[in-house]
Amino acid sequence: MINFEEELKKFHPSLEVEDAEDAIINQDLTDVADILIGMMKEVKDETLE
Amino acid sequence: MRCYNCGCQLSEKDFCTGCGADVGLYKRIMYTSNFFYNEGLDKASVRDLSGAVTSLRQSLKFNKNHVQARNLLGLVYYEMGEVVKGLGEWVISKNLRSKKNIADDYIDMIQQNPSRLDTINQTIKKYNLALGYCQQDSLDLAVIQLKKVLSLNPRYVRAHQLLALLYMKAEEWEKAGKELDKCSRIDMGNTTTHRYRQEVDKRLEAAENTKAKSGTKKKKAAEDIIKYQSGNETIIQPVNNRDAKGVSVALNIGIGIVIGVAAACFLILPAKENADTSTAQEELRVVSEQLDKKTGAIEEMEQLTKQLTEENTQLKRDLSEYAGSDGKMEVVDSLLYAVSVYMESPKNTEKVGQALEKIDAQAAEQVESEHFQSLYRILVTQAGPSVAEAYYKAGMDAYQKEMFEDAVKELAKARVYDPENGDILYNLGNAYRQNGDRNEAMEAYNLVVEKFPGTERARRSQSFLRELNEGQD
Repeated sequence: MINFEEELKKFHPSLEVEDAEDAIINQDLTDVADILIGMMKEVKDETLE
Repeated sequence: MRCYNCGCQLSEKDFCTGCGADVGLYKRIMYTSNFFYNEGLDKASVRDLSGAVTSLRQSLKFNKNHVQARNLLGLVYYEMGEVVKGLGEWVISKNLRSKKNIADDYIDMIQQNPSRLDTINQTIKKYNLALGYCQQDSLDLAVIQLKKVLSLNPRYVRAHQLLALLYMKAEEWEKAGKELDKCSRIDMGNTTTHRYRQEVDKRLEAAENTKAKSGTKKKKAAEDIIKYQSGNETIIQPVNNRDAKGVSVALNIGIGIVIGVAAACFLILPAKENADTSTAQEELRVVSEQLDKKTGAIEEMEQLTKQLTEENTQLKRDLSEYAGSDGKMEVVDSLLYAVSVYMESPKNTEKVGQALEKIDAQAAEQVESEHFQSLYRILVTQAGPSVAEAYYKAGMDAYQKEMFEDAVKELAKARVYDPENGDILYNLGNAYRQNGDRNEAMEAYNLVVEKFPGTERARRSQSFLRELNEGQD
């Protein structure tokens, strides 16, 4: 049985063209590779210390 | 694949041959990203767009610089109607690799068509507005807006899903099913679409079962029909369709004719009659006005005619007074003739007398002209005595011959021209007496007594009066 109110909550407003620029700028593009590189750097720094 | 540290091309070893950095784990991350990209590509090729999005996002989570995955993700978003998201992915892709990037072409395709961009923007605005209506419980308005959105962007999957949800809320299961079918055609693997579809199918099945339980007739009707799917349409066709086509066609035509005639009789004819009546009344009014004018003119003419007739009658009357034997003209003419005769031969008493006789004494009295009256008196005064004498002699001659009637005439004429002559008056009385005209005789004798008192004639007149009175007694 589908609950209308619950289903409605899953629908979010779409981005308009004017908001696209801000959305792109604010997008977090950190990926797993960046995390791994960061972790490896930390390990390396700790090793050096 | 290049080293994350120095940028050298990596080999099959787990370390960088350029800087010696440990790249084993890095390489696995890259492989995983590629794996998800391939998976996304497979799903996109079979139109599982939602699955493709998931896989491609996973790929980008592992490697944000995977340009191919990003471009494909943008394309998938565009196909699902999420144009702004797609545009965003292409912009990022272009920033990651500015040259030899197909994202340039995708971006140019949208930016070079400003009307298309505006349409996209309108679509998004309307969708957001529809979502607002849904949250405000204005579901009818939301449906209207969503239909407009889908007319502008028929591949907008989320709009289809929201519209299907609204139809489901309104228990319009058939319409919801159609929207979900459209969603499936665009994005086959969308779980939301499948969930909704399950619900709709369940409801439709329940409805059909309810109808099947309602009676044998309906069941028989159901058995007599063929039901099949043709694309998005459900075709329901009766099996035994052997009704008499000719009879039904003729019957339908007959019913149509009857309805048409009835419509003409009750709708068209009264209106036409009213129009005709109005026209006729207008013409009648115009004719009545003209008739009134003509009637008025006729009355004026009749008045004028009456007036002219009266004037004519008066003029004729006046004319008759002047014309005719007893008219004034005639009297004047007679007087002039008499005057001319007297002037020519004054001693010809006979001729003068005849001329005087032609003058109508009564008519002469009615002439109002003073000159006429004066001339007439002068003539009578001048010629009268001699004329009277001539008549007197003739009258006495007739009296002596005992022709009393003639004597009366002659003496009466003599009296006209000499009324103060006693002899004429006395002898006229005698003539009347002898002629048996008692009243005229008495009148003459009374005049003699009155005008000539103390005379022999007066005495004799009184004697004759006594005799006449005694004779009456």
